[in-house]
Amino acid sequence: MIVGAMLSTAALGFLGGMALGPRHPRLWLGATLGAAAALLAAALAVLCGLVPAWEWRGGFALGGERPHLQLDAISALFLALLAVIGGAGAAYSRGYWSDHQYPKSAARGRFWWSLLVAMMTLVLVAANGLYFLFGWELFTVGAFFLIILESRGRKVRAAGWLYLAASHVGTLFLFAFFALLAERTGSWELGPQLRGVAGLAPLFWLALVGFGVKAGLFPLHVWLPSAHANAPSHVSAILSGMALKLGVYGLVRFSGWLPVPAQAGWVVIALGAVGALGGIAFAFAQNDLKRLLAYCSVENIGVILIGLGAALLGASHGDAAWGRLALIGALLHVWNHGLFKALLFFGAGSVLHATGTREISRLGGLWTKMPWTAALFALGAVAVAGLPPLNGFVSEWLVYLGLFDAGIEHGPVAWAAMPVVLMLGMAGALALASFAKAGALVFCGAPRTKRAAHAHEAGAWMLGPMVVLGGLCVAIGLAPALLWPLVARAAGAWNPAWTLAAETAPASLTTLGVVHAVLALLAISAATLLWRRAQANGLQRGPTWDCGYAAPTGRMQYTGGSFAGVASGWFFWLLRPERVVHRPRGPLPDAARRVEYFPETVLEKVLVPVGEGVLRVSTAVRRLQHGRLQYYILYLVAGLAALAALVLVGGAR
Amino acid sequence: MLITLLETVLRLALWLLLAPLLPGLINKVKAWVAGRRGPPVLQLYYDLARLWKKGVVLSTLASPGFIAAPAVGWVAVVGAALLLPLGPAGAALSFRGDVLLLIYLLALARFCTVWAALETGSAFEGMGSVREVSYAVLTEAAILAAVLSLCVHSGGLSLAVILTPSAGAGAVLLAAGLFTVLLAENCRVPFDDPNTHLELTMIHEAMILDHSGPPLAVILHGASVKLLLFSVLLVQAVLPMADFGPLAATGVLAGGVLATTVGVGLVESLLARYAFKQVPFLLTLAFLLCLFALLVAWKGGAA
Repeated sequence: MIVGAMLSTAALGFLGGMALGPRHPRLWLGATLGAAAALLAAALAVLCGLVPAWEWRGGFALGGERPHLQLDAISALFLALLAVIGGAGAAYSRGYWSDHQYPKSAARGRFWWSLLVAMMTLVLVAANGLYFLFGWELFTVGAFFLIILESRGRKVRAAGWLYLAASHVGTLFLFAFFALLAERTGSWELGPQLRGVAGLAPLFWLALVGFGVKAGLFPLHVWLPSAHANAPSHVSAILSGMALKLGVYGLVRFSGWLPVPAQAGWVVIALGAVGALGGIAFAFAQNDLKRLLAYCSVENIGVILIGLGAALLGASHGDAAWGRLALIGALLHVWNHGLFKALLFFGAGSVLHATGTREISRLGGLWTKMPWTAALFALGAVAVAGLPPLNGFVSEWLVYLGLFDAGIEHGPVAWAAMPVVLMLGMAGALALASFAKAGALVFCGAPRTKRAAHAHEAGAWMLGPMVVLGGLCVAIGLAPALLWPLVARAAGAWNPAWTLAAETAPASLTTLGVVHAVLALLAISAATLLWRRAQANGLQRGPTWDCGYAAPTGRMQYTGGSFAGVASGWFFWLLRPERVVHRPRGPLPDAARRVEYFPETVLEKVLVPVGEGVLRVSTAVRRLQHGRLQYYILYLVAGLAALAALVLVGGAR
Repeated sequence: MLITLLETVLRLALWLLLAPLLPGLINKVKAWVAGRRGPPVLQLYYDLARLWKKGVVLSTLASPGFIAAPAVGWVAVVGAALLLPLGPAGAALSFRGDVLLLIYLLALARFCTVWAALETGSAFEGMGSVREVSYAVLTEAAILAAVLSLCVHSGGLSLAVILTPSAGAGAVLLAAGLFTVLLAENCRVPFDDPNTHLELTMIHEAMILDHSGPPLAVILHGASVKLLLFSVLLVQAVLPMADFGPLAATGVLAGGVLATTVGVGLVESLLARYAFKQVPFLLTLAFLLCLFALLVAWKGGAA
């Protein structure tokens, strides 16, 4: 019962954090880091198979239900990520959102952070529908208060409300899901025993919408960009790294515990592919660094859902091995995306902290002032673009392998797998473009504004967590075979048919890890050698040549908008950019201007018009209610006359 | 163990030493069509040797990444080349899914080139980078369609398996598609003009304007390895390598690469560079060719 002890320790740490946190920042950090370490230990113990899956039923009833908690490999997989991001974010916030700078909100932030991580843990370990919903709702609320930590900005408040509203639409579906589940099974208890219950399959669609909203499933991602962009960066990191993953957790969990409809795999893989390509197309067009990262999360959730969809298809097509491969890829991508996206959001936070702006077109040349942040952000950019030898490539490679195998098998699933491979490839190329833009335009070249020129390096509290996350990205990239048994255990918990007696990584994954390590070593030596050679031959510094620049300035560089120009033009139909263009006219033109804005298409072009339509109709209807008695009597008379007419007509029949 | 090491070194030497021959051959063909004498076939070797000895002028804006990126990109391309089987000799290393590693190593090389280009803060290099990353979206789709067709046709997932049998009925489609991808990925006419003197109209050359000395040598050498890589890939994807004896296969591979090189030279002599607005259409065409090859492979497998 070591797992129970660890989880109790963590719970104590979070409670202590909530009680003491607002007053005592150091104690809070210690409590939170300790709790995170306890969570990580419990999760790894289960994942590594040191202890069997943990289950606990309380002997008392709380809110009418007896508490029922469990920690199996799937929960442990997500819990390990939560522990890492929860701990790293807490440490980062000490430098990023210090009491010195934000005397009031920093204290509040600590309370809500502890609550958020605690409630996320509850969601991950709950095996009772009521407790799951309880944790889910409180975690949503905790995240809301963290998003609006700096509530003076109008945009921040708007983003917070949008998040809260969208989340509750999702929660509404989850209420329906759990209520119908309880109604059909006669209890709120959750677990693998539900797998055999007939008639539960259609409930999957409710879960897909409910969890999809939280996960940022493509057309349901409306809340995601503004919330991620406007929240404090450590909050963005846990939102993107973990909150979205809880949506994924819900989908993985309940597609594993409940029977799913036959179409589920097809729908999920299609939504994933559309989300991957659509999300990254939006990301590439963004000029706001954090919005770009947020849309990129939509892409990565798409990649995860592609893997999950392939796994669902594999499970329904005779438990095919390629489904297992894709699922392991998807679950590993859950980790990978959490790690590198948290790293990137921390990097973006440091940039924001140092320059006060998130706009790529106002940054540039930051590497001279913030070399460590620049190097770590570049590392994250390579990882998120899915390039070898880092972790992003490993998980995408596994998903690809699953899809290729499904294609080679020549069955009906190949018709889904092959187009998805092509879309995933295009999404990968666009991700590379997006992160060449996000990394190089922000950190390389000349500063575009004075603010960018006067940046400063982040402190140790901010760099430390980034180093840890970057190190994990490298480690997973170089030694993926070590993680295989852990993730494979989670895949076995999802589909018992995929539990293998001996969990050893496939030879190809081991080879890939070795190749990665060799390549990394060779790349470092080649770079060193080339640098030495250049120095030996004589290194001269001069202004950028570029075929004869006399005095290059920051303003002459390519901007984020011009960088995305070509490819985002291809997605014009989806992105619907709004442009304000004042061309220079005449021989002596006065000011010319061009402003380009990429709206959140689903929100601003679909939901807002629909909402306005509803408002217009209801405003029109409201005219009926004006407080004049004589008209009300007229309504009554008209209504009675209509009823009488109805009776007469009905009676004639 | 020792033999494996020796073999890898030999293979590496073959790739590194033969690669710079290709641009020389292309230039010779172009000169021959135009009725000129042209530069010597070994010109790139001389250039590389000269550049390796020269000093470096570094932009004041450039970080150490400006020199590290070409090195990493070169390692990526050479690593990708080593994954390719060489006819009867097979590959230095073969595992399931190595073909995806090859594609993504080339992507890593692209990322490095683009990153180094943006280090300088120059608008020309920005333009080159934009074109590079944007057109890559379409070439990536085309390459993946081609690879899928090979995988579906051969039922394997490693380069050694998928490149052995002939591409079947779709070989012509695949050849046309992959040749177009080769031209695009290696920045040849009609996508890019390596000889133009107008920076506005270049892709690859625009990105490396500010490189000099040994880093430039590494970039040029890496580009030639990439060209050889694509030629070898094209020849082995299209021709039935398993049907020849070891000696004949070597000859066929060498002949095929030579023919591809001459083909590139002829295309450059006979075609002008397309306007950039037309490039996506041409790349879409390449994608469709590979997609039809995939459909043919699919039907062939079902029969």
